[in-house]
Amino acid sequence: MENDPDVDGGGVGDQGVDGAGDPVLRADDVRKSYGEVTALSGADLAVGRGEVFGLIGPNGAGKTTLVRALTGTTAVEGTVRVLGTAPDAVDPERVGLLPQSFDPPGRLTARELVAYYAGLYDDARDVEAVLEAVGLASDADAWYETLSGGQRRRACVATALVNDPDVLFLDEPTTGIDPAGRRDIHRVIREAAAAGVTVFLTSHAMGEVERLADRVGLIREGSIVAVGSPESLIAAHGGEPTLTLRLEGAAERDVVESGVKAVRSGTPYDARRAGTTTARGGGAAGMAGAAGAAGTTDAAGAATIEITGVPLEGIGAVVDAVTDAGVGVESASWSEPSLEDVYLELTGEAYRPAGPESGTEASTGATPEPETKAGGDSERPESTAAEGSR
Amino acid sequence: MSRVRRIRAEAVAAARSFLRRRTAVFFTFFFPVILVVIFGALVRTQPTGGGLFAEPAGYYLPGYIGVVVLFTPLSRVGSEIARHRDGNRFEKLATTPLTRVEWLLAHTLVNVAIIGLASVLVFGLVLLVTDAAVRVTAALPAVAAFVVVGVAAFCGVGAALGSLADTQDGVIAASNTVALPILFLSETFVPPSLLPEWFLPAVAASPLTYFARGVRAITYDGGPWLGDLAVLSAIAVLTLAVGSRLLPRTD
Repeated sequence: MENDPDVDGGGVGDQGVDGAGDPVLRADDVRKSYGEVTALSGADLAVGRGEVFGLIGPNGAGKTTLVRALTGTTAVEGTVRVLGTAPDAVDPERVGLLPQSFDPPGRLTARELVAYYAGLYDDARDVEAVLEAVGLASDADAWYETLSGGQRRRACVATALVNDPDVLFLDEPTTGIDPAGRRDIHRVIREAAAAGVTVFLTSHAMGEVERLADRVGLIREGSIVAVGSPESLIAAHGGEPTLTLRLEGAAERDVVESGVKAVRSGTPYDARRAGTTTARGGGAAGMAGAAGAAGTTDAAGAATIEITGVPLEGIGAVVDAVTDAGVGVESASWSEPSLEDVYLELTGEAYRPAGPESGTEASTGATPEPETKAGGDSERPESTAAEGSR
Repeated sequence: MSRVRRIRAEAVAAARSFLRRRTAVFFTFFFPVILVVIFGALVRTQPTGGGLFAEPAGYYLPGYIGVVVLFTPLSRVGSEIARHRDGNRFEKLATTPLTRVEWLLAHTLVNVAIIGLASVLVFGLVLLVTDAAVRVTAALPAVAAFVVVGVAAFCGVGAALGSLADTQDGVIAASNTVALPILFLSETFVPPSLLPEWFLPAVAASPLTYFARGVRAITYDGGPWLGDLAVLSAIAVLTLAVGSRLLPRTD
């Protein structure tokens, strides 16, 4: 397992450990097979109290099996400890779970559903307060099966929160729901974390994990191959910021090259091929293979180039240099590397989100609405974009 | 009290879920009604001794009630387990304080209530549309005890079938395969005198046999019935224990 420098040797963050001196969640060399299919092949993990831990990985990598190992709902080889004890010996009053693809009885109202699960615990939270917390108070009398996808998922999250758990497992809590519903669930997770709840989250939505998690584990073929804060993983595996310029008309190779070189000022900006449009000779296409410059030319003859390693504050200088060299800039967009790039780098496969979440694409020019991390820090924008020509 | 609270929460949720499925409710009660109408009123025992049935109409009352006591728990509990498994509900319940025994007890209570009502309906209908005569004695209320214990026994069997069958279709097929032979070979509609002697041990192994014997003793021929209730109770404890043990978690 690859741990980044800001992580303790055992893989647990500095958020603290349980009273017994153990991490709240620990997995050592956990293995699980279903017949000839290996689901977990020696997974190691440690999560501290109050930490939001995000687990990402391709389909079939072992995410759900690891959740089941930690919740004691499947037998595994190796050592698993939750709150200092074996999962099946943990006081169930202290654990909340939203299983993957959870589908509760459809003909209970949201209020009845939450009350049902509240009735299974000795010391449950007030049902109305939980419904309020997940934003379902106004729809509490609708049958679950008549709720929208987002409302259903919020009701499901409510069933995991109703016992006021110390450890909350959420297995793909936002799959299949719209951005507004996701935002509500993100808020609920942040509030739980702020209250000291340890949250173990699996998701296919990279942006979601990046925003919410204090630390992220990437699982591949049953093993955790990297653990660290999103920032440290991105720094280690995500590559560099990328500036993408769409130029007005075809640009000659030497013109663009000179523009790029002009703004380097000792900073090794690299340009590489952008987009998927087939290059057609001349213009920016001619830059492909040239040192420090690469690009494509679309059917209309406009060129697009990507320049890596340009910091946010360097965008203006690059654009100025290119325009000073006689090439008009139709649009410019800039993006930082993201967890998606880490995923791509470490799994070796393209990221295909399962739900509506698809990350923030620099090429769309969209700027994500800033959200706040679970710890309360403001989140930097993932990308910026500007349209217009000079 | 915690245990009672958990069982009540599970039972209330299960009852609400069932009562809001109108089709399921309708056919739960329509099935025994149509059975009584067809076999009790149309086919029936002829006064001259002819007809499909060889015994007087009162002999078959335990059989008609036995239909709902047998079929409904098998299909309802089995299907509920399939639904729970498909929706990963057992995985969630495994992390709550609700135990598997408590889950099965809660669903057994719901079935007892539903089948109790259906049994009253069947009882009344048999008296209404057939010429069955029922012995009215102080033991008559004990029929309710047989219904409760019989339902519990078959809820346990239904739980085992639902846990072993891997799909809802499989549950239905398995419960039909189990229920039909039990129904007709448990001294309900086929008197033991019509069966070969070598088959009688199989009759004695059927829980429904003790239900039919006991209810018949109370309502028809006045024989002893406490022994049958004791055997049926022991079988109910056994099937509930096995059924709850087999309930799935995730794997």
